[in-house]
Amino acid sequence: MLKYIGKRLLRSLLTLFIIITIVFALLRLMPIEGYFQNFEKMTPTQIQVGLQQLGLTDPLPVQLLHFWQNAAQGDFGVSHKYRVGVDVVEIISGKIPLSLSIGMSALALALLLGLPLGILMARSTRTRWKIGDKLGTVFVVVIQAIPAAIYYIFIQFYCSQLPGFSMFVDAKQPLTWVLPVCSLALGNIAYYAMWLRRYMVDESNKDYVKLARAKGVPTSEISRKHVFRNAFVPLVQFIPTSVILTLMGSLYVESLYSIPGMGGLLVNAIQLQDNTLVQALVLLYAAISIIGLLVGDILMALLDPRITLGRKEGGR
Amino acid sequence: MPNENAILSFEDLEIEFTLRGQVLRAIRSVCLDVYRGESLAIVGESGSGKSVFTKSAMGLLDANGAITGGHIWYEGKDLARYTTEKEWRAIRGKEIAMVMQDPMTSLNPLQTIGDQIAEAVRLHQDLKGGAAKAAAVEALAAVGIDEPERRYKQFPHEFSGGMRQRVVIAIAVACRPKVLICDEPTTALDVTIQAQILDLIKILQKKLDLTTIYITHDLGVVANVADRIAVMYAGDIVEVGKCEEVFYDPRHPYTWALLSSLPQLGVKGQALYSIQGTPPNLFHEVHGDAFAPRNPQALNIDFVERPPLFEVTPTHKARTWLLDPRAPKVEPPEHIRQLRQKGGYLHG
Amino acid sequence: MAIFRIKDSKTQALANSLNKESARQFSQEELFQFAPYDPDAGERGGYSDYSYWRSTLRAFRKNRVAMFFLCVILATLLFTFLEPLIPYDREPNTIYYIEQEKINLFTRQPVLDEQGNPVVEVSRATDQRPGQEFWFGTNSIGQDLWSQIWSGTRNSLFIGFSVACVDALLGILMGVLWGYVRKLDFFFTELYNIFDNVPQTLIVMIISYVLRPGMGTMIFAMCLTSWLATARFIRNQVVIIRDRDYNLASRCLGTSTWRLITKNLLPYLVSIITMRMALAIPAAINNEVFITYIGLGVPLETPTLGNLVETGRKVMGEAALRYQLFIPVVILATITISFYIIGNAFADAADPKNHVN
Repeated sequence: MLKYIGKRLLRSLLTLFIIITIVFALLRLMPIEGYFQNFEKMTPTQIQVGLQQLGLTDPLPVQLLHFWQNAAQGDFGVSHKYRVGVDVVEIISGKIPLSLSIGMSALALALLLGLPLGILMARSTRTRWKIGDKLGTVFVVVIQAIPAAIYYIFIQFYCSQLPGFSMFVDAKQPLTWVLPVCSLALGNIAYYAMWLRRYMVDESNKDYVKLARAKGVPTSEISRKHVFRNAFVPLVQFIPTSVILTLMGSLYVESLYSIPGMGGLLVNAIQLQDNTLVQALVLLYAAISIIGLLVGDILMALLDPRITLGRKEGGR
Repeated sequence: MPNENAILSFEDLEIEFTLRGQVLRAIRSVCLDVYRGESLAIVGESGSGKSVFTKSAMGLLDANGAITGGHIWYEGKDLARYTTEKEWRAIRGKEIAMVMQDPMTSLNPLQTIGDQIAEAVRLHQDLKGGAAKAAAVEALAAVGIDEPERRYKQFPHEFSGGMRQRVVIAIAVACRPKVLICDEPTTALDVTIQAQILDLIKILQKKLDLTTIYITHDLGVVANVADRIAVMYAGDIVEVGKCEEVFYDPRHPYTWALLSSLPQLGVKGQALYSIQGTPPNLFHEVHGDAFAPRNPQALNIDFVERPPLFEVTPTHKARTWLLDPRAPKVEPPEHIRQLRQKGGYLHG
Repeated sequence: MAIFRIKDSKTQALANSLNKESARQFSQEELFQFAPYDPDAGERGGYSDYSYWRSTLRAFRKNRVAMFFLCVILATLLFTFLEPLIPYDREPNTIYYIEQEKINLFTRQPVLDEQGNPVVEVSRATDQRPGQEFWFGTNSIGQDLWSQIWSGTRNSLFIGFSVACVDALLGILMGVLWGYVRKLDFFFTELYNIFDNVPQTLIVMIISYVLRPGMGTMIFAMCLTSWLATARFIRNQVVIIRDRDYNLASRCLGTSTWRLITKNLLPYLVSIITMRMALAIPAAINNEVFITYIGLGVPLETPTLGNLVETGRKVMGEAALRYQLFIPVVILATITISFYIIGNAFADAADPKNHVN
């Protein structure tokens, strides 16, 4: 098992390395305005000097080498537009705890609501009119088919008029955090409910469930001990996707509610064309996605005895 | 009322399935007695309804299927009237247990096999904790698994197909049932393992005083284990009798056809006999004898009226108009006649 | 569609009537005479002759919700492309001027002349509510929303369809290479493993950030990695056709590779690609809305659903102007929900497990 985890970790590091390289190379294609604070007023010689100071006139491989050397020391450059001259690591690290707590609460909420909804839908498929299943499916379809951006807007606009809620987050009022967290969780709720339902319906048609019924195991115990548990395990492989969903959702939600987190920061940095900040944030986002995938794979290997060393290596 | 020697007795049983608004008559008014302590084989091609038929005795029909008529008598109770899960749980496992076809899929892949056996033990033997575990280990040993203590903690994927089928049998037997239904117990296994599994079931049957019902399409299995044979075609039992009666003196044209297609009866150099056509579509109503369209020697009446069960001997019955006194004499195919001679049924 | 049903019920009715008639004819003696034997009769009684596409269509047709949305989307598509023919001559990007009462910018009251009558002047037709003049109203710079919305729908659908097509074409091509050329297997597998890790939205974002925003950039960015998933799927199918038992068996019986591909592989493949294409369209629209919000979308001169939603969002604070958000949202939701439901229903219908009888 340790060997599997080690291998998997190494692979993630390699992936991260390649992605960082690609992103770095891509951002060299950017217009150079993004490196200066008052580009319009500068003379060509000033620009040239500035570029040289930043090491941007060197050939690409050399730049890359420098970038790696600095990155290894935790130096990702300084911001040129957002907060001039401030180390981007400093800017970002101040925002991580907030984004992390919002993202985590949204994920927890999604599990808390999505799993019961999935169970409810799966149970309802065996009733006569399947009302629960139908209503749940409508919810899943609406959430999955309509762009998240649109329902975020509507939730913000209409729900913020309820007493206690607000269009913007106020750190001192806990109620104002409810809307952004719920918005962020919605996509994952639909996602978990949909897959849990599907897996539970699949599992309950399997032979071992029939054998358990033939054994005389009560239905409630079958759905708890056999169906739910077996349907839950493959759900682990959706952790990476839901991390990604939350990450991308946070971009929108944080800037909508003026939450001073990473998501809002990235949107800001893009609008300001602050290259170093964008670069660092994109790398951070990619890294989080890769970690999500790693965690999902390791959890899967821990929960499912059938996955042994190396057998599931190489992607999902 | 049922025969008093019968432990399980099906009386005019009808089962229908509803699929996308269409009604499929899977079992069409079937009568069958299963005698205490015997082993009965139900033979038929796939889709003939043999599996559905036995599952109905455990209340294991799929949600879209239902018993629409008749009775299933078990120790004076009519199982066909059972509706609630509570009623069925008194039967399932405890009275009637089942071994399913595919050992690769009939065990929960995420639970140790020990847990799966202990689950049955706890439910039916009133044991808990360590005692349940001990009973489960004992059950493993009883089905011939070495090192049961170590195997107890393993997962199904660590077992071979034959071993898994032994585990499935251990689970069934751990419930201490009176009737054991074996639904194609050897179909998914290697030929070399098949005999071992059948022997195991035979030994357990003797030891635990079980009544066994085999469901199979493999006549080789039948010859090995069965006291009596019931031949099923298109949701109906067309012939039933003692093993040697059905093998050596078959009366229904379908049984002839079935036996003729046995490779053992083939003549070297000649193409193996195969039954022409396909079984009828049970979504459509079947008129008369369901086998008539595939039978070259069918009578007109076969297309019109369903034949009754004619008695050949007190133990041997067949549902064909050929046994009616008015019917013309029809000789069975050549190799069936040879079989008759072998079995001493010359004047049958 | 009705043809199939007629065929089924007709043969059934014929069979029934034949049976009944023959029952009447027989006398008591005739009943026990041999019936004429027709070797084909046994075959006829069996289950219907199975055709993959017919069963798929039948299963899809039975899904009433999907059929409803299919009609909705066909009507919407038809209208979107016929809309320019409607005699309603408004340009999406023209700013319109009308005669209207002059409004004091500070007091928001009509400006009055000496006689106390409102002053009328020609000015930009901003924020006109839907009505006779402007069917869907105008936006806050005086452009006609009706023309903007339909032209935006066309553009968004164009992006969606382009992405879906490139995705399918590139996916099939690369997938077949990936599956057949064993030397490329390692390369493609690694490529897939790397890019599967990165959220597509992030990739679209970076590409739009680096390149100049526009329709082309948008399509390019979305296609850049999405074909990998399709290619991987095709590759798996190719490997299956090489190695799976039933295909091996089929080949042992002398089936030609061509027949193997057309009978065993193609039907399944076509249905999966159709489904993926149907789902790629809502995904593309979704991405477009998101990217537009971040400020990396298509320039405003090109109306798209994303642009319209974004413009509408900015004015939604005023109740009177909310139509500028609602109308594009309703059309967008109709399109994405329809495609989503059709895609999923088609996937269900194409699965042979759901082909009953």
